[in-house]
Parts: sequence; C-alpha cells; structure tokens
Amino acid sequence: MDLFFYLGPIILMLLLLGFVTYAILFERKVIGWIQNRPGPNQVGPWGLFQTIADVAKLLLKEDIVPGKADRALFKLAPIIAFVPAFAILAVIPFTESWQFGDFAVGLLYYIAISSITIIGILTGAWASNNKYSLLGGMRSAAQMISYEIPLVLSVVGIVMTTGSLDLNDIVLAQKKVWFIVPQFLAFLIFLIASLAELNRTPFDLPEAESELVAGYHVEYTGFRFAFFMLAEYVYVFAMASLTTCLFLGGWLPLFGLTMIPGILWFLLKFSLVVFSLFWIRATMPRLRVDQLMQFAWKVLLPLSLLNIFLTAIFKEIPVLSSFY
Amino acid sequence: MFGLLKGLGVTLKNMTKPKVTYNYPAEPIPVPDRFRGIQHFDAEKCIVCNQCALVCPTDCITLTGKRNPDPEKKGKVIEIYDINFEICILCDLCTEVCPTEAIVMTNNFELATYSRDDLFKNMQWLHDNNQNIRQENMSSKPPGAAGGAK
Amino acid sequence: MLRTEEMLLNMGPQHPSTHGVLRLVIKIDGEIIREVDPVVGYLHRGTEKLAEDLTYTQIIPYTDRLDYVSAMTNNYAVVHATEKLMGLEVPERAEYLRMITMELNRVASHLVWVGTYLLDLGAMSPFLYCFQDRETILNLFNELCGARLTYNYMRVGGVKWDAPEGWLQKVEEFVLYMQKELATYHDLISGNDIFLQRTRGIGIYTKEQALSYALSGSNLRVTGVPWDLRQHQSYSLYHQFQFEIPTGETGDVLDKYHLRMQEIEESLKIVKQVLDVIKEGPIMGKVPKVLRVPEGEVYTGVESPRGELGCHIVSNGKNKPWRLKFRRPSFYNLQILPELLKGENISNLVAILGGIDIILGEVDG
Ligand code: SF4
Ligand code: SF4
Repeated sequence: MDLFFYLGPIILMLLLLGFVTYAILFERKVIGWIQNRPGPNQVGPWGLFQTIADVAKLLLKEDIVPGKADRALFKLAPIIAFVPAFAILAVIPFTESWQFGDFAVGLLYYIAISSITIIGILTGAWASNNKYSLLGGMRSAAQMISYEIPLVLSVVGIVMTTGSLDLNDIVLAQKKVWFIVPQFLAFLIFLIASLAELNRTPFDLPEAESELVAGYHVEYTGFRFAFFMLAEYVYVFAMASLTTCLFLGGWLPLFGLTMIPGILWFLLKFSLVVFSLFWIRATMPRLRVDQLMQFAWKVLLPLSLLNIFLTAIFKEIPVLSSFY
Repeated sequence: MFGLLKGLGVTLKNMTKPKVTYNYPAEPIPVPDRFRGIQHFDAEKCIVCNQCALVCPTDCITLTGKRNPDPEKKGKVIEIYDINFEICILCDLCTEVCPTEAIVMTNNFELATYSRDDLFKNMQWLHDNNQNIRQENMSSKPPGAAGGAK
Repeated sequence: MLRTEEMLLNMGPQHPSTHGVLRLVIKIDGEIIREVDPVVGYLHRGTEKLAEDLTYTQIIPYTDRLDYVSAMTNNYAVVHATEKLMGLEVPERAEYLRMITMELNRVASHLVWVGTYLLDLGAMSPFLYCFQDRETILNLFNELCGARLTYNYMRVGGVKWDAPEGWLQKVEEFVLYMQKELATYHDLISGNDIFLQRTRGIGIYTKEQALSYALSGSNLRVTGVPWDLRQHQSYSLYHQFQFEIPTGETGDVLDKYHLRMQEIEESLKIVKQVLDVIKEGPIMGKVPKVLRVPEGEVYTGVESPRGELGCHIVSNGKNKPWRLKFRRPSFYNLQILPELLKGENISNLVAILGGIDIILGEVDG
C-alpha cells in the first residue's frame, strides 16, 4: 500500500475534471470553427474559462426537484450514472506504468461496468415523472443495450488475435502493426457502436432536443444536471482511451519515434479520436429510432459476426496469420 | 457511405475558412446609410403639419403645436413631440411624408434599456440624437436629385 | 395483444421544433401517434382586423410581420391587389426591382427552410451555412431598404427606394456565388445517407389529397402538379422570363427538399435574367397623394415561397379597405398535418412537420 494507491485516484479525478472542462471547450471550439465562427471567446483569453463559468453557473443554480418526482430516485440517479463512468478508468493503460488496476480481464471489466450507467439514466428518466424524459430514457435503454452487443463482438476479433482480455497485452500485441489495419472492419463497427454508446450525434436520440427537448435529463437542473453531463464526457474520455488502446496501439510510437514519450503518443492518438467524435457531431443529422435499432441488429451485428469468422479464417492462412 | 464522407469533407474544409461573425458589442456593427434607426427630430424645421402622426401605422407619435411666438411670422411651432419606442416599428413612413425633413432617420439602433419608461423619447432626446443621420431621405426621387438632409 | 395505454403529449407552444408557437396535442400509443390536434393562434395579431383601420400605405409594414422570412412577397401581395383595384401603371424598373427582391427573398426563405429542417433532424452545421448565405441576402436588403427583415419596401405604384449605387452588381455577384455554392449544399446534405434515410418515404400524400386540402406552392408541386402562379396567373413581369417549374415524383419530404433546392436555382436564374434587362427609369408611378381606392372587390394571388399568398380587398371607396383578407398559405398547408401524422412513429413527427414549411407568423395572421 503505497501513497500512490490512495493519491492516484484523486489525481486522476482532478485530471479528469480538467479533461472534461477542456474537452467541452474544445468541442465547442471545433464545432465553431467548422461553422465559420470562433466559438466561445468571451470568458478569459481565448475563452479558456468558459466551461468554468458554465459549471459555476450550474452550481449556483437553484436545485429543483419536481413536485411529482420520486425524490429519492431522482437524487440517486445522477450518482448511479456517474460512478461507473469513473470506475472504468481504472483499467485503461495510459502508458506501460500508468495504470491503476492491471488485471487479466480488463476489457471485460470495462464493458460490464460501463453498462451500469444505463440504470442511472433510466432511473432518472423514470423518477422525473415527465413524458419527454420517459421517452428519452426508454430510447436510451434500448439503444445502449442494442449497441453493446456489436461493440463487444467487434473486439472479439482482437481478443482472438492476442488471446488475452488484458488491455496491456492488447497494446503490446500491436508492436508490429496496429489493429486498425487488420481489424479495419472491427474498427468501423466499434467506432459506430461507441458513438451510439456515448449518445452522441448521429445517435443522440435519447436527448434529441428537436424532438424530446432534452430527453432523460429534461427535469434536471444545476448540480445534478452537471453530473449527467460529467458522466457523458467521462465516457467520451474513456471511450476515446479504449479506442486508442484497442486499435491505435495505445502508447506505442509510430515510425519508431521512441524519443517522444509514450504518454504523448497516447494523448496524440487520443485527441485524434476525440476530434473525430466532434467532427462527426458537427456534420451528421440524427438517425431515427427504428432505423437505429435496425441498424444495430441487422447491419452491425451480422458484420461483427462476419468479422469474427474472417479473423478465425485468416488465422489459418499461412501468409496472413502473422497479423492475426 | 460515400455521401457521409463527402459531408465530412465539406465540414473539414470549412474549418479553414475565415470567420464570419461580428465582434459586435466590442466593435460597432457597420450599417448601410439607408438603415432605419431611431429618428432625429429638428424642431426648427417642423411646420406642425401633423402628417407624420397621421401616417404612423402604430400611432406612436404625439405632437402638439402652438402659435409662433414671433408675431411677424405665420404658422405654428412645435411644442411637444414624443415618440413611443415601445411601439414604434421603425417603418420609415413618418420620415417619408415629412415635407421639411424635420424628422429623419439615423443609423443608431441601440434602444435596449431596463425600463419601459425609458423608451418614451421626448423632443429634446430626439433632437439630441443627431449622430449618424441618414444622408439620403427623399426616397422615391432618383439618386443624386434634390433632397437629402445636407 | 399487450394492453397499452395512450399517453397525451403536449408538444409546444415552447418546443424547439415547432418553429415558433405552434402547439400540437398528440395522443401517442408507445411511440406511435394516434391523433394530432394542432392548436394555432398563439401569435395571432389580428392583422386583417387592424387593416380595416389603416390606410393602404400603413398596411404594408404590417404585412412584413405575417410571413417574416419572406416579407417582400407579402409587401407585394397587398400592393399588387391595391394596384389592380386602382388600375395603376407601375413603371418597369419598379417591377424589376420588385422581382429581384422577391426572388432573392424566396432564396433566403428556402435557405431558412433547409437550415432549420436539418436542425430539426439534428444536424447543426448546415443550419449555420444556410444562414451565412442568407445573411448576404439580408445585407443586400439592408442596403436597399434599410432593414433586414421588415422591409416595408414596396409602395402602391412602385417601390420606396431605387437601387443604391453598385447594388445590382452585388446582386449579380451573389447570384453567381450562390449558383456555385449550391453544389456544396448537395455535397453536405443531399448525399448524406442518414438524411436520406430519415426523409425518404415519409409524409407522403397524393395529388387528390393535396388538392382537396387546398395545398399550394411546393407542397402541391411535390405531388407532381406543376402549378405556379408566376406562370399560370402571371403577375408582375414574370411572363418575360424563362424558368422551369420543378415538380416532385414521390411526394416525400426528400422530394420537397430537392424541389426547394431546384426552386432556389430557378429563382437565381430569374434574378440573373432580370439583371440583364433592367434599365434606369422612374421607380414610382403616377400615384395620388392620398390613395382612394375605387369601390369594388379584388382578389389576387402571388406565389410566395410557401404557396399561394392571396389578398382579397373589398373597398367602399375610402382610403381604408372595408375588408382585407389574406389567404395565408402556411395556414392552409398546416391543415393536412393531422392526416399525415396519423399512425406515424413519433420520431417522424418533427421530420414531417418541418417538411410542410410553416411560418407561425403566417399561420396565426
Ligand atoms: S417609424 Fe413608423 S412607427 Fe415609428 S414613428 Fe415613424 S411612422 Fe411611426
Ligand atoms: S411631418 Fe414633419 S413637419 Fe409635419 S409635423 Fe411631422 S415632423 Fe413636423
């Protein structure tokens, strides 16, 4: 039991808050640039304190619990939604040494814990006693459960190749070539499914503001609303990290540029993933709810199964097997 | 699938384009000369013909005249001239009918206040609102012909 | 069968997608809509009643506020009806200026539709791109008549302002720019699979339905009826110019999108042709100082971006109309909504409602 054991999570928490603060700013900046405007630029130089001001506003707001809401559940829901988001970060290997819990089934742990959040969302949606939030919560549940399956199946190919569920092993197995090359199909499926898991455009149906006003958190204000937002952005962080580890070779350098430390490589790849999330958000309209379900079950699921078969077959072909 | 990529290309290309927003409260926004802003009123020119009050579609002009204090001169001089900017729609009709260009538009538009009472502007205020007066006021005449508040 | 309970969902009047203050009372069964009841009137200002107490010139600024995204056409509707009743001659240059502004306004209005419709579907950027191009048009109008939205530009017998110096060149530049820019819109939107998926095959109605609901404008043309008042009841000087009337094939919202994009193209074409022939000249006809409209009755229709904008004036010889009635296309087009939405999934609601292209200022009058 060293000091790191206790301090590590706190440091991570602070780092995470820093990340969320600036990810939100970055998102708004990127979308602003894409739309030919400068993005937030009033609070602080270059708008650097915008999110801080926003959070301060949220914290100072009156905390409203709707009269007809289920008080206990209403208050509990943001916590249920947020805690798993933070817990999954334990297994992400940022570099060889920077990891909080290195255990053999890291990938499984990530996927299992992350699906708890949906209970929080559903609880919040139900407890608000609002029709819009109920619709949003239902959609959210259906969507997350549907997309969890292709998400998991798409990484099976990688697990087959490396023979391990440990994220460290998976990263190290990409020394020769990143998994994005041999597992390109899996990468696409994973990207799409993770967008859906994150409730981001084009899969942001649970909070489709043009239909459901704000979806499951329509009744939430102030601090509790901030928690839902926080959970969402922590998932962005986690999902981008996972994508980096699984497909982009984690902290491994490109072109043998080993003098650049691993953490920088990780951050670089990670930012690329985050940027593409924002980029997609700025471009795409939103899918319709029934098409969303069809897409998950009729397109993504068969494709991910196909990917497993292909991986299995390629493993037996002599020339290709070195990649699989 | 290809269509999605094309769309992504368009948005990416737009990232490098110059920004189109105005830095408005920090820098004044450029408005063309014909812009219809808060009126400027010149009491000396007014002949109290009441045309502006008649033509105003929202009835927001209140005016009264009195006998010219100088007994040599005929006609009236303006005594009270108020515009209620709660309901003025800056439609430009009053300035269009005014035969002497006593009431003319300016390019000022910042009317926002904390109290509705402040929107009631009297003659003095309208007279002092003499910045950025519109150059071209006689509209239906061809440009360059007579007219214009010189 | 599982017994499900119907839920009453009150959408609006402050819902982000009802484009103003429309209220829809929706009965839903799960996510399936059983019944829709549009409640209108939250923006009612009684323009028609007010007009009975206003002189003809004073009515013009009020029409700006009906369909506030294409105020030029509204100006024209009332001015045109009055002119017809009075038998006034309008100088050629004035008519050309009116046409340029009306067509540019149509472009601006359709751009607003494309942008907000994509926003309803969840795409943010197209909205801002559309508004950027619309901004150019609004700036042109600002230079011409001093306002960006409430133009009050047309007068009985002519227009208020002549084009300022260099304005016509700027219009031409914009037309050329916009004709190219449309390709970008097609790149961004028309090929987007998600957009296609969401708009294809929804909100379909037949020609007969459209006619019996008295739909007009692009909502009618989308069913394949090439009815355009600019050609069929030619007003202004439209008969001098060549342009097509695009029609739809399937009648779904995707078709409406393509139709409106084509209409933008046609409008630009008209502006281009007008720019080629416009000459110097007077912009006001011989109009008496006080407009006294002879006793009588007149109805004229003009093709607004949303359909047939009619103006019915009954005059008893005074300087104010005895009765003035607007046939407001948005109001008529909205009537088909309950029928379109019955049995649809609630996630299609916004897509169908947006497709009709209503402007609440016009619906509520
Ligand atoms: S601008 Fe129009 S509303 Fe305002 S005072 Fe003049 S006539 Fe009346
Ligand atoms: S129209 Fe002009 S001159 Fe006549 S009362 Fe009004 S401001 Fe005075």
